[in-house]
Amino acid sequence: MNRLLQDRFDRWHVLVLLLTTLGAAALLLTAGGGGDAAARSELNRQLEQDVAYRARIDFLQDLYRPVLDLEKSGARQQALLKLEEIGRRYPGEGYGFIIKGRILLQLDAVEEAVANYVEGVRLNGDFADRQGAFSAWNEIDQLVSKQLPSFSERARTHPDNASLKRVLNNLHYLQSRLAGGCE
Amino acid sequence: MRNIIFCLFGLLCSVLLSGCQQTADQGPVYKIGYMNCNSEQETRLRFAPLTRYLSEKVGVRFEMVPVDTQDFEDRFKKEEFAFTHTNSLLYLILRQDHDLQLVATEKRGQFGARTAGTIISRKDSGIRTLADLKGKRMIFGPQLAPSGYLAQYDLMLKAGIDPEMDLSYYAIPHGSFKHEKLIYAVYFGAYDVAAAPALDLEVMTREGKISADDFQIVAQSPIFPYCTFGAAKGVDPDLMKRFREALVLLTPEDTVDYNGEQVKVLKSAWVDGFEQLLDSDYDILRGMAKRANMPPYQEF
Repeated sequence: MNRLLQDRFDRWHVLVLLLTTLGAAALLLTAGGGGDAAARSELNRQLEQDVAYRARIDFLQDLYRPVLDLEKSGARQQALLKLEEIGRRYPGEGYGFIIKGRILLQLDAVEEAVANYVEGVRLNGDFADRQGAFSAWNEIDQLVSKQLPSFSERARTHPDNASLKRVLNNLHYLQSRLAGGCE
Repeated sequence: MRNIIFCLFGLLCSVLLSGCQQTADQGPVYKIGYMNCNSEQETRLRFAPLTRYLSEKVGVRFEMVPVDTQDFEDRFKKEEFAFTHTNSLLYLILRQDHDLQLVATEKRGQFGARTAGTIISRKDSGIRTLADLKGKRMIFGPQLAPSGYLAQYDLMLKAGIDPEMDLSYYAIPHGSFKHEKLIYAVYFGAYDVAAAPALDLEVMTREGKISADDFQIVAQSPIFPYCTFGAAKGVDPDLMKRFREALVLLTPEDTVDYNGEQVKVLKSAWVDGFEQLLDSDYDILRGMAKRANMPPYQEF
């Protein structure tokens, strides 16, 4: 063997032989594993989706942390102003509407709170799911349970009032989404 | 022959009926008095398209009349306004003194058809509570501004602070854009605290003029109804109903032909929409006016 490799010509042949063998093995592996590759690609796609979902959760939590901190400390109007600032950059983000709805409810702006929850759920149905990182099911359920009887009664006693009808329609929409209904 | 007679009769009836219908080009002119927020010119720019829209929708002729806040009650009587568009305190005054009827309430900003007054300081001022206001320099909005004067005055009285006695000095800015001026007055350190409407803070933040981090909101009033359309006592109930419907059904997409352009009515008026509130929704403001000894409940 040593004698064989002493010759430069032989060494060249051995190298070519090795490369050919490895190439053929690689070809065989890839040609024979078409199904595996598709499965791997599917797995990768799933992984990418999970990573994107996780990144979205982390990003939104970071983005809205100052608002949530202000809300917790009772500085609700300041929290609303902070939301305005964030809304300038991300006007279509549903999480902002959900937080705004919650703060407005604390400030007794019930009609606008309901309208913001509706906007948030329309933008992202996840908020009306029972499970999930951003589930707002419980707070929306409490809102609907408390406000629906009162607005139903007011709409009944003021049948010509278009504004009361509008709030009532919004509450019914939320009620249907909580029950699993679609748009 | 009989068919021809029927057709001619039908045609005659439709001509006669169309003659009976009142169009926007005929009939009496109804005045709408609009309270000036900043200037007559601004009021005209904002509300001329809305007035044109109302004429088209309601089918009668409306004329817009810009009016200064302090003159409103006198001119309402003298010029016989059929409809009014004023802040909610002026609505209370006209309701109390002249039986004005509630038509619709304007929606603008995060509280919709309601608004609030705040007391603000600079973030780095160390003024964090109402008790810290004693001995400070304060700037208020105009005296008949519910969210720029009355709400804050009432907040202070309820906290045991008499604005007339406990502040070192207070003032009201001159000219137009008073609410913006007083926010900047605190920002640039001319005053320690200001009576800022929550709506102006919101709009200025949205426009990037100020940052939420620049100010401390020392206190905020409960929410109460925002600017209001009213109808004079003698206005035909059907006309008032149609007027209200035209307002409440307005959407951001509705346009009107104005000076040869299709103008978005709500956007032009700086309004998000209109709501039909109940007069009892204004009781919270009545309470504030009574506590602050302000019109229409002022006693000497």
